[in-house]
This record gives sequence, structure tokens and C-alpha cells, in this order.
Amino acid sequence: MQTAVARAANEDRDIAELLRTGERDRAFTELLQRYEGKVFRLCCALLRDSAQAQDAAQESLVRIWKALDSFDGRASLSTWIYAITRNRCLTALERRRVQESLSDSEVEAEVESLAARASEDSQDHFGELRELVGLLPERLRRSLQLFYFEERSVREVAEMLGVPEGSVKTNLFRARAALTEQLRRRGIDDPTYWLEQSL
Amino acid sequence: MSDADRPESEWNRALDAALKRALAPPALPSQFRARLQSALAREGEPNLSGARARLEREQRERLAELEAGYLRLRRRTLGNLVGGAFAAGVAVALAMPWVRESFGDDAPLALSGVGTVVGLAIGIAFWARRNRPFDIL
Repeated sequence: MQTAVARAANEDRDIAELLRTGERDRAFTELLQRYEGKVFRLCCALLRDSAQAQDAAQESLVRIWKALDSFDGRASLSTWIYAITRNRCLTALERRRVQESLSDSEVEAEVESLAARASEDSQDHFGELRELVGLLPERLRRSLQLFYFEERSVREVAEMLGVPEGSVKTNLFRARAALTEQLRRRGIDDPTYWLEQSL
Repeated sequence: MSDADRPESEWNRALDAALKRALAPPALPSQFRARLQSALAREGEPNLSGARARLEREQRERLAELEAGYLRLRRRTLGNLVGGAFAAGVAVALAMPWVRESFGDDAPLALSGVGTVVGLAIGIAFWARRNRPFDIL
């Protein structure tokens, strides 16, 4: 049975071949077509802020472009791309933590805006569900969000987060269990309701 | 396939459908590709400080080369002048007995007078060509 890394490497063999023959620009154009959206979604899941995610995705892709010549093919291309993106997001998160600890007024403004958004969202049950997802521990929330962003592919999520597929499955199981529990407590755990609303 | 991959119970199916709708993948902003292309173009430009340092280094090298050429020219000119003067002195010393004998005792004086006039004329002609004193008129 093929491993996830081997499968990913197979999928990107054409890009690796273009790089090997020195067609750097064509390789990057192809890479962009394939990974632009995934890089952006990974940034969204890690940073939880669309504007910051956009900046981080852009910076990650520029770094990827600059480092493309140094890609040696030891890891699969996707693993390499996601590792660069994760590192960029971790740097952004670190910077944000420092900024937040410096400015109390900004933190207060953010709390108020979050509260306003939450009350707006809570007007329908999907908003409430989104709010509950937002309250999950980071590890579970990231796995859950990426699972739905990437058309429910555990393999893709595992590669994006740089964790084993088993961990993603466990996170998804725990996230679902936590959400079920919270929805039950709020009395909105009727399957018929959700199935009808989701049509 | 595990439970995480394929919800089996009715509740899991309902939760999966609800999450699928609630957690729609964020769309890539419309200006994203344009902004990225601009950023890539900026990165592709040569490093400005590097280019400046390279140009300054090249200019210094050119100036040093010109300076060396100028010094060589001055040394060669000075050498030519000294050599020319020495050769002229030798020629005059050798020719003087024959000049005296052929043109009389005043001939050396007349000859040096003619030489001075010719030298002054050549000097003035060069000075006039370089400084163009008549252009201001």
C-alpha cells in the first residue's frame, strides 16, 4: 500500500521533472495552480484571520518561489510547501502574541468585535455551530476546519499539519464528540433539523 | 474507513452535513494573484544596495585605471622632453664648430634667436588652441 508521502510525491512528479530540467518558471506556475488555494486555507486554519492569512500565504509563496532551486526532492513537494507555510504562520502567530501583549486597547477592541460577531452568528444555529467550533482546542479546531476545507480528506489534512493521519482521525473524533455534547446541552441535537437545514 | 472518514449513524451524518455547510472553505481573495505577482516581481528585481555597491566598485576601478594611464602618460612626456632637450644639446654642441666656420661668429646667437622665436610661436599656438582666447570676443 502506498504511503501518503509517496502518493503526494507521485502527484507532483511533473513539477519535480520541470525543476530538474531547469524550467523553474513553468514549475512554479504549475505549483501555484495546484497549491495556491491550499496554502491560503492552511493559513486561514492556523491564523483564524483572513487578512493575516492572505499576507502569510503570499509571503509563504514568495519564499517557496525563492527557495524552489534548493528543493532537493527528499521530501514530497507538498510536504515541503506545507512546512514552509506552517513555519511562516507560526512566526505570524508569535508576532501577534507579542503585539497583543503590548496593546491592551487593541485586545479590548478585538474582544468587543468578537462578541459582536458571536451574537450576530448566534442568530442561526449554523452560526452557533461555528461559534462552538471556534471554542474547540486549537489542535481539534485546526483538524476539523481543514478536514472540511479540503473536501474531507484526512490524508491532506495530516500532510498540511505535519502530523500522522491517525492523529487527525483522533482529533476529528474528539472534535465531533465535543460538538455533539455542546449541541446536546443547548438542545439542538435533533439530526432531522440539521439534515433538513443542510440541504 | 474510520468513523472520522465516513459518518455512520444518523446523528453523525447530520453533524457532518451541518459542519460541511458551516465550515465552507474560504475563497481566495480576488486580488490575491495580482498581489502575489507584484510581490514576486519585486523579489525578482536586482538587489538595489548590491547593485549600487557593484557600480561604485566598478567606478573606483575605472578611476584607478585612468589615474594609472595619466601617470604613465606624464612620465612618458617628461621622459620625451628630457630626452629631446639632451639630444638637442648634443646636436648643437656637435654642430656649433661647423656653424661658426660656415656663417661666422654671430651665427650661434642668430640661430638661438630664431630657435627662441620658433619655440615661442609653437607655445603660443598650443596655448591659443587649448584656451581659445578669441571665443569670448
